[in-house]
Amino acid sequence: MSWVSRYRPRSFKEVLDQKEAIETLMAWYKNWKPGSKAMLLYGPPGCGKTVIVEALAQEEGLDLIEMNASDFRSAEAIEARIGRSMAQASIFQRPKLFLIDEVDGLAGEEDRGGVGAIIQIIKGSKHPIVLTANDPYNERLRTIRPYCQLVRMRRLGIRDVQRYLERIAELEGLSIDESVLKIIASRSQGDLRSAINDLEVLGRGSRIIRDEDLSSLGFRERQTDIFEALQAIFKTKSLMTAKLSLNEVDKDLEEVFWWIENNIAEEYEDPLEIAKAFDALSKADLFMSRVIFRQNWKLQAYAVDLMTGGVALAKREPYRKFTRYTYPSNIALLGRTKGERSEALKALGKLGSILHCSRRKVRAEFLPYLKIMAKRPDFKERLDAFMEASED
Amino acid sequence: MDSLEIWAEKYRPRKLDDVINQRHVVERVKVFVKERNIPHMLYAGPPGSGKTTVALCISEELFGSAWRQSTLETNASDERGINVIRQKIKDFARTRAIGDVPFKIIVLDEADALTPEAQQALRRTMETFTRTARFILCCNYSSRVIEPIQSRCAVFRFRPLSGDDVRAYVMRIVQGEGLKITDKAIEAIIYFAQGDLRKAANLLQASAALSREIDESSIYEAASQARPEDVRLMLEKALSGHFQEAREILQDMLLRQGLMGEDLIREIHRQVYSLDLTDEEKVQLIDKIGEYDFRLTEGGNELIQLEALLAQFLLFSKAHKRR
Repeated sequence: MSWVSRYRPRSFKEVLDQKEAIETLMAWYKNWKPGSKAMLLYGPPGCGKTVIVEALAQEEGLDLIEMNASDFRSAEAIEARIGRSMAQASIFQRPKLFLIDEVDGLAGEEDRGGVGAIIQIIKGSKHPIVLTANDPYNERLRTIRPYCQLVRMRRLGIRDVQRYLERIAELEGLSIDESVLKIIASRSQGDLRSAINDLEVLGRGSRIIRDEDLSSLGFRERQTDIFEALQAIFKTKSLMTAKLSLNEVDKDLEEVFWWIENNIAEEYEDPLEIAKAFDALSKADLFMSRVIFRQNWKLQAYAVDLMTGGVALAKREPYRKFTRYTYPSNIALLGRTKGERSEALKALGKLGSILHCSRRKVRAEFLPYLKIMAKRPDFKERLDAFMEASED
Repeated sequence: MDSLEIWAEKYRPRKLDDVINQRHVVERVKVFVKERNIPHMLYAGPPGSGKTTVALCISEELFGSAWRQSTLETNASDERGINVIRQKIKDFARTRAIGDVPFKIIVLDEADALTPEAQQALRRTMETFTRTARFILCCNYSSRVIEPIQSRCAVFRFRPLSGDDVRAYVMRIVQGEGLKITDKAIEAIIYFAQGDLRKAANLLQASAALSREIDESSIYEAASQARPEDVRLMLEKALSGHFQEAREILQDMLLRQGLMGEDLIREIHRQVYSLDLTDEEKVQLIDKIGEYDFRLTEGGNELIQLEALLAQFLLFSKAHKRR
């Protein structure tokens, strides 16, 4: 069972936030009689639309009949599936509640019949019907809207999502940093379902989840975009094609920069092409640093043109070969050596405090000489003693 | 700390009168100390010319043995962002100084490493605590410090120290430690130090670790051992057409070992003379080294600028030249 279903809220109490929507839904249900409007719940993905309808059925002891609008694409299909049961009042059975999910997914050109059928069903139903949608003002839903009471559900807060994840992590016995949960939560942008899916991907692999694991998650998810962009840049001789390739990429410019940098010498074989491409990146980098240092954002346009078009046009002809583009080695190296470097920084900091300078200066201006001085046993002894003494 | 005996620290002047040269700064600063009132100050000058030393001397002369409690030393490159620095300053400046001096001293090193935005924030902090604290900002290039800060400070330019200044300092250490050293060795130190007293002291101490009697060759030996050793290998890789391997060495030096781009490019320049290339090719490469060095000082990223330079070396690889 996926974690999304395992940890699905079963009652109103377990549903995150959405108090207003629940109250409106309850009032609508209590007052509903044949001929009343249907309910159209709308809101962003993963905010709990389906979940609160399921909770309503649970709490009121209703027989919930769930359908996904995209399952049936024509009037006949809807009729055949639910038309008849809707028009029948049930005397011996539990009361029914119909849920038609994602109605905005239903209304394509060829589905006009589908919209019309839903309107007919709403008008003639003996049972309450709930519809859900992401965007109720979608032009194709125009004709349905008058037959519905619209209730908006809000995007979930990042902190609510995070707390929910915390509970799951605890129940699953995961060892996971709060910071990691926070990142998953904020990446989800309030979509609890996607957040739980992300957590499951990480948690299924191992009980202990660290920062690094997170990067592999984002990496996999967004991989296709960056690879397509790299392919466009490296295989084209057109400035516009190269430049526009970045439009699809949802990574920040700096990371894209290093992806391009890492793969120049994988793709290009002629030293002149490599030198030209790196020179274009060098100039792009200067523009980016001016953007930051002078807060002059219009300069960013030149950086983008140089890092895409400049690199693309460094080659004589596109190479007719397949290149396996790889993850930026500098970012990987920094990740791999994090522990080692933080140890070194601590030691440098200790020396810095007695030498009255920054760790950077200790490393650049003292360390090369300290290594030579330490060739004398008496100095090495003192140095070791100092490092140990200031350990606490 | 005295037990560690790093000479650059052991022989750091403790009184303004002992500071090597910088007379134009010291004379004026002594007046401030005498009047027990100093303005905010900005010290600009090359490394090892005495900026931090003057700041610490002022503090010691003002506060005596309690100078540590009344002085906050911090720097822009270690702290994570201006907010951490501001919080440190706030915590420190909240309480009054002990004794008859009505302010504390905050020494902020590498102030030019702060972005203009961060400097604006610093400027506001300086104003907030101007009653209880005096700032001494140190930097290599005053042009990288925003004008509103410069206008609130007395700006002092530390001059590059001369060969005679370096000699005077080296002689202090030689006498203090009872070293045996030849005249030529002292000349060699002056040559390598380029007016940087910290470097002179370090080079002298490293040489002393290598041999009991210090002559010219022990100075050269220490200087060469102190250089980034992988630079030569990296250049040879690039010149033999192995660009990716050269790139790997560079990334290891910059990112894992934490060496500085400007040190590496200086060493690249030094190595060019002895590479297996014609003089004409060397001149062409030096032109490129200068260009990428300039881009570094313009704020370029160390890794990408040096990689681009390595790609220029690749153009001189034998395989490429045959094409």
